[in-house]
Amino acid sequence: MTGALLDVEDLKVTFAGRGRPVRAVDGVSYSVHPAQTLAVVGESGSGKTVSCRAVMGLLPQTAVTTGSARFAGTQLIGLTDEQLRRHRGADIAMVFQDPTRSLNPTMRVGGQIAEAVRAHRPVSRPQAREQAVDLLRLVRIPLPERRFDEYPHQLSGGMRQRVMIAIALACRPRLLIADEATTALDVTTQAQIMELLLELQAELGMALMLISHDLALAASYADDVIVMYAGRVVEQAPASRLFSRVRMPYTQALLEAIPRLERPAHAPLPVIGGRPPDLSALPAGCPFAPRCRHAADDCRATEPPLAEHEPGHSWACWHPVGGPAGRLAPGNASGGAA
Amino acid sequence: MGRRLLAAVPVLWGVTFLTYVVMDLLPGDTAQILLGINATPAEIRQLSVQLHLNEPFWVRYSIWLGAMFHGSLGTSLQSGQNVTTILGARLPVTAELLLYAFVVSLVLAVGLAVLVARWPNGIMDRFSLVISMMGLSIAPYVLALVLVYLLAVKVHWFPALGYTSPSANLVENIKSLTLPAASLGFPLFAVYTRLLRADIVEQLQREDYIVTARAKGVRPWRILLRHALPNSMFGLITLVGLNLGTLIGATAIIEPIFSLPGAGDILVQSISNHDVPVVEGIVVVFAVVVVVANLLADILYAVLDPRIRYGRVAS
Amino acid sequence: MAASLPDLLATADTARARPPRDRARAGWVLELRLWVPAGFLIVLALACFAWPHIYPVPSPVRGNVLDAGLPPLSPGHIFGTDPVGNDVFSRILYGGQVSFEVGFAVTVIGLAVGGGLGMAAGYWGGAADAIISRVLDVLIAFPALVLALAIAEGLGPSEVHVIWALCVFSIPATGRIARSATLELREQTFMLAARLSGTRGWRVIVRHVIPNIVPQLMTFSLLGFGVIIILEGALSYLGLGIPLPEASWGSMIAQGQQSLTATPDLVLIPSAFLFATVVSLNLVSDALRERWAI
Repeated sequence: MTGALLDVEDLKVTFAGRGRPVRAVDGVSYSVHPAQTLAVVGESGSGKTVSCRAVMGLLPQTAVTTGSARFAGTQLIGLTDEQLRRHRGADIAMVFQDPTRSLNPTMRVGGQIAEAVRAHRPVSRPQAREQAVDLLRLVRIPLPERRFDEYPHQLSGGMRQRVMIAIALACRPRLLIADEATTALDVTTQAQIMELLLELQAELGMALMLISHDLALAASYADDVIVMYAGRVVEQAPASRLFSRVRMPYTQALLEAIPRLERPAHAPLPVIGGRPPDLSALPAGCPFAPRCRHAADDCRATEPPLAEHEPGHSWACWHPVGGPAGRLAPGNASGGAA
Repeated sequence: MGRRLLAAVPVLWGVTFLTYVVMDLLPGDTAQILLGINATPAEIRQLSVQLHLNEPFWVRYSIWLGAMFHGSLGTSLQSGQNVTTILGARLPVTAELLLYAFVVSLVLAVGLAVLVARWPNGIMDRFSLVISMMGLSIAPYVLALVLVYLLAVKVHWFPALGYTSPSANLVENIKSLTLPAASLGFPLFAVYTRLLRADIVEQLQREDYIVTARAKGVRPWRILLRHALPNSMFGLITLVGLNLGTLIGATAIIEPIFSLPGAGDILVQSISNHDVPVVEGIVVVFAVVVVVANLLADILYAVLDPRIRYGRVAS
Repeated sequence: MAASLPDLLATADTARARPPRDRARAGWVLELRLWVPAGFLIVLALACFAWPHIYPVPSPVRGNVLDAGLPPLSPGHIFGTDPVGNDVFSRILYGGQVSFEVGFAVTVIGLAVGGGLGMAAGYWGGAADAIISRVLDVLIAFPALVLALAIAEGLGPSEVHVIWALCVFSIPATGRIARSATLELREQTFMLAARLSGTRGWRVIVRHVIPNIVPQLMTFSLLGFGVIIILEGALSYLGLGIPLPEASWGSMIAQGQQSLTATPDLVLIPSAFLFATVVSLNLVSDALRERWAI
């Protein structure tokens, strides 16, 4: 697709495991456009993190990546580590889940930011320091000059995450990937960090990819949403469309699992029965079939392809929710599950 | 910190006490041994009185302990010399040997471990694993003999025996200590390399901050040297502290092989001679060194790890 | 001496961090890495203990002076003879018996006494732990060499005395490992469950602690076995171990040292056996550690 900043096509990632290989990502395609916010949603093991790390080349050596991932026209898959290194941080940056473990405990916070700057730009130490302080200010950390000299353990969780964001933004990347960036934070801080990310996105005009298991988060902050399951994309739509006219039973189940105030008190939360699939031994047919309410024989026999059944809205299901005509908001649809 | 110092005291006391007990339990008449076979009973008796050898155990121990607190380590039963003087002559030799072995093995170990961690499982890595396995498995005295045979007898690069003091001739001094230092140092080098390599590789593979560094676009060498290495030093520091006692003990075997006039050399002789003051003097010094070294290790931890230095202050 | 027992605490972690390999290969290579050295040890032990009974060898101590100084591969003396006329090959076998006996005895005593003390200290904590730990600390800080030399010197050189002397090393070292392993274990929930169910202390230890720390203790003891053999060699080398004319690899090395230039094989042959044995022990320990993922 032209105009896309990041264009991923048929990405596959396999890990050589003890015994059979594990297909963590099994043919994923999506695009991210400049200034767009794309959310990638799925359970643990759905392949959402692996696919993004594959694009940046951050996977361990046991991983084999095939397919295509073009960033502004440059093919990233197959580049050497040194070639990829030039893109990392400079064009695409990542913010990780656990800021406590993701920062070097024996290095000052400011130094870690300055390091990000000097990795790609030939600036002097004092200049890098200045830029780092500016970045701390950018992520709304008070007293940035003081914070520069502190160590990660001296900061609170929310501050550490802001530092991670500052590091990611050091070279003004065009795409920022937030991999479960708020999962380890408490709810209030979560909201603050998300607001910060959106403000920065607007200020800097970058594209934002939100990776999360939290559908509500995706609903609130993303333009477009991709739902992944067992290493594949199973539904793809603009956020508004996805939540008002959900198609994939899996997505619907995820939506139903979100706790809501309107539910009667003490009513058990609907959960998706069964367990996530074993990626080294996927059954034939739709990977969600074992856990799907609507599963039929053709579901178990043949894997449904991802197809754009409605303009802008793709799904991979033989028997989507609501039949051909589509359904309204999930609250009405579930009936029996709640 | 203060608590550590306090805990060290009973250990030190325990060591000296135990040594005294052991030496005391050695059968055989000390005076007899010192004077030799031809001594007359009168001479033996006289020496026994002179050396307080017939007093009860506690009396003798207190005399010795008291003297030590006054700074005197007593006199050698064998030679009559002041123990402090003896130690003063011999300790520097042992100290130089140990320093040589330790520093070189540490520097080489860090160098090799870093190099090898850059390309794990490569040729250099496998090679280094083999070398470390060999170093771990070889006895220092065996290595000493092999080195002497190859490098001193077959080719005359190093002297097989003897010691030249640094003030006399520095080059000869280094040469005379090289083979002994290598015999001591190679096993050390092996242990250090193995540990450091494993720690660095573990950091590089398991730690999230390394992923962050890669995601930032930091160059691999910088990740290795500036991120992984500093965080891998802790295990090594502990090991060095633990290792010191053994290292010191090993000099008792290595020094005689090379005829080095050090403390280890005289230790064996003194034990055979029941020369309690000398043995105690050496043991005390060694124990103090070990305890101090472990304290230093603790301090080093604090210096390297800001979490210990600054504690938790969430702002 | 090379890597003393307390150090092995630290090296215990070294073999763990192996980067993920191509798993297809790992299977049989892992087996090889365990069974080749283990096989060597078994064969060597069998040879040392059984060969002289099955197939006659010249006496290790009553050699004929007229046969002195024969080089290796002489007829009737495959490794040659030493300056007194003893057959080197048979001395290697009998010396090997000594090494295995001493190593085994010291290791077992270390496990029983040191392991027991360490587990007690780790499990009950409190005063027991404080006392036991202090004692272990003193023993570790103590230049145990002094004690070993003193014992050997005072009691006279003999195999049994060597065993006592070397226990001074192995008891505190094993004790330390057992203690820290027990401490780690104590934190786990199943231990709490066992105690809550009313099981009394000793039974908990026997039923739960011991089976779980056995792997760690075993791999550690294998490394320790090698160190003990080297130390026994050192004591014998100094003349304070197995008394001449009995055979011990250490004393053979000492003897050979005197004619190092002329007949290096007298040093090299026992050294090679010593080295090979210790390497095999270390390799087996590493392989087990990898297999049990300790």
